[in-house]
Amino acid sequence: MVKYFAKRVGMMLVAMLAICLLTFCLMHAVPGGPFTNDRKVTPEVEAALNEKYGLDQPLPAQFINYMKGLLHGDFGPSYKYTGKTVNEFIETGFPVSGKLGLITILFVLLTAIPMGILAAVKNGKWQDMAIMAAATIGVTIPSFVIASILVYFFSYHLGWLPAFGLDSWKGYILPVIALGGYSVSYLARLTRSSLLEVMGQDYIRTARAKGLSEFKVITRHALRNALLPVITVLGPTVANLLTGSFVVENIFAIPGLGKYFVNSVSQRDYTTIMGVTIFYAAFLMAMVLVVDMFYCLIDPRIKYDE
Amino acid sequence: MALTNDKWAPLEQSSESREKIWSKNRTFAGDVWFRFRHKPTAVAGLVMILLFILFSLVGPLFTPYSYSVQSLERVNIPPLMKVYNVGESRVFITPSLKLIRVTENGSLAETLPIVREESGKSMTIFDCGGKEVALYYGGSSYVVCDEASGNIYPSSHIWNHDHVLGTDALGRDILARLMYGTRVSLMVAFVSVLVNLVIGILYGGIAGYLGGAVDAVMMRIVDIISTIPLTLYVILIMMIFGQGLQSIIIALGCVYWVDMARVVRGQVLSLKQQEFVLAARTIGSSPRTILLQHLIPNAMGSILVTATMLIPSAIFMEAFLGYLGIGLRPPLASLGTMCNDANANLRTSPHELLIPAVVICLIMFAFNFVGDGMRDALDPKLKK
Repeated sequence: MVKYFAKRVGMMLVAMLAICLLTFCLMHAVPGGPFTNDRKVTPEVEAALNEKYGLDQPLPAQFINYMKGLLHGDFGPSYKYTGKTVNEFIETGFPVSGKLGLITILFVLLTAIPMGILAAVKNGKWQDMAIMAAATIGVTIPSFVIASILVYFFSYHLGWLPAFGLDSWKGYILPVIALGGYSVSYLARLTRSSLLEVMGQDYIRTARAKGLSEFKVITRHALRNALLPVITVLGPTVANLLTGSFVVENIFAIPGLGKYFVNSVSQRDYTTIMGVTIFYAAFLMAMVLVVDMFYCLIDPRIKYDE
Repeated sequence: MALTNDKWAPLEQSSESREKIWSKNRTFAGDVWFRFRHKPTAVAGLVMILLFILFSLVGPLFTPYSYSVQSLERVNIPPLMKVYNVGESRVFITPSLKLIRVTENGSLAETLPIVREESGKSMTIFDCGGKEVALYYGGSSYVVCDEASGNIYPSSHIWNHDHVLGTDALGRDILARLMYGTRVSLMVAFVSVLVNLVIGILYGGIAGYLGGAVDAVMMRIVDIISTIPLTLYVILIMMIFGQGLQSIIIALGCVYWVDMARVVRGQVLSLKQQEFVLAARTIGSSPRTILLQHLIPNAMGSILVTATMLIPSAIFMEAFLGYLGIGLRPPLASLGTMCNDANANLRTSPHELLIPAVVICLIMFAFNFVGDGMRDALDPKLKK
């Protein structure tokens, strides 16, 4: 197992290198330099700027410099905001996004799993139908549509909740629902189908034959196995919640990392785009790895040694 | 009925007719279609998709408006207008505080000229066919009233006859833009899925068929690509190629083939062990022929299902890019850019957001239903 995870970490490092290289090449393939876009600058000023940011060196040297900075945790300066570094953006943006993401994950787990269990227990009855219909709608409607409609009804029409900002606990309600809507629906469907499958197995019949109550059968016996697929998709779900937050953070004017990313894209702030992309990628890969490790601890049937 | 002896004579039965299969012999495609059309949701999805294609292609022929022509006189007009009856004529208050006279059947006539401004009373006085009416903007909602008495004119709701779905913030007809936007969204989805299909089939097919070290290296590359959040890369590629239709298609096409490649590889790996591949090899077929003529057609079922499931995510991705404002260049419209444009006026004109949003949802529903139906129809395990 240790060998397997060592291999995984090795793969991750190779992937990270590939991501850095790819992002670097993509950013340098953009026609025009970072300073050619808006105000016209004189050639001397441009040369001075290029020298200051090391852009006059050949590309491989620039890449090596950038990687050296990365290894020291330095994402470089922002090209658009003088005196700001990409690290500052990440340090101010990530805690906000992370808090929103964590609350959303809690919300997703606390609603999706009970809904899935209820649907499976009431299989074929109206509760099941209602939950599955809601889940199908939740999977198909894009998050920005959910967010805009929520804002219209709850903020503008009814005036109950703020339309933007995270000043009070009320501000979290709409972003969390908009962000988690897809995951709730997806996980509820997954929990339901996996629980239904487990309930048909022999050991459940044995548990019932022992005279256990239905509640105990489900919570003690069925759920433990039924939740395994749910745990598997948790890694990618965290990924979705973070990347999906671009749009939600934009709508609700939340000063998180997604907002900085979208801003840097529209302002063509290359180092910020690169830095945030690499940060996201590293974070997401680490999350997937952590979830896989937990998975291995929870289910002793899984051996990664072949 | 009298029974006679000849009713009991044995029936002559040839051995040929005994062997004959009486039920109609269905081809594989016929079989799939048979199972597909017995699923109401799948058929409903298919009909919806066809209707949307028809709507986006034929629809523009029947509307007098263009998706790009702006009319600043008629900005943000909803489909259902609240009009005030001033004597014989009806007037409608636009969200930008102008008065438009509306005819009996709901057509928009001329914009009323402003006579004077009464800032002290929070009123603007308009000339409505020789009669002075006041627009009072001091309260929570704007009303049309008589200047002297302050009496509010009676109001009623009337459907917009000129612009059935209203107009957007630049006075463009939403129905015309919706037709155009649906066409763009569907086109982006179909073309980018086609690109994915070609890349994915070739990549996965080659990896699966050659196997060994080639497979290992190719699949490691796929593993690396799939650890990258794809949204980020679509955005980065969009930046290189600039805004526009082609760049969206390129961006979506060169990022989403990873799943397809995995599916094709898995299928090819299991199919290449079968006897017909050995047979093809013994008669001297080249690897290319075996891959393209024998293996890929056999894997077509799961390839088609994966492709159908990719379409909604392509539509979603395009809408997402449009929503972030890095999709199409105005005045081009897609469903996503329409939603994005509408966001600024959400408070006053929610119809601008709701209409394209509903269309996006319907299209996604339709493709998901068709995808589900195809999966069930193509899955041989469910065959009765």
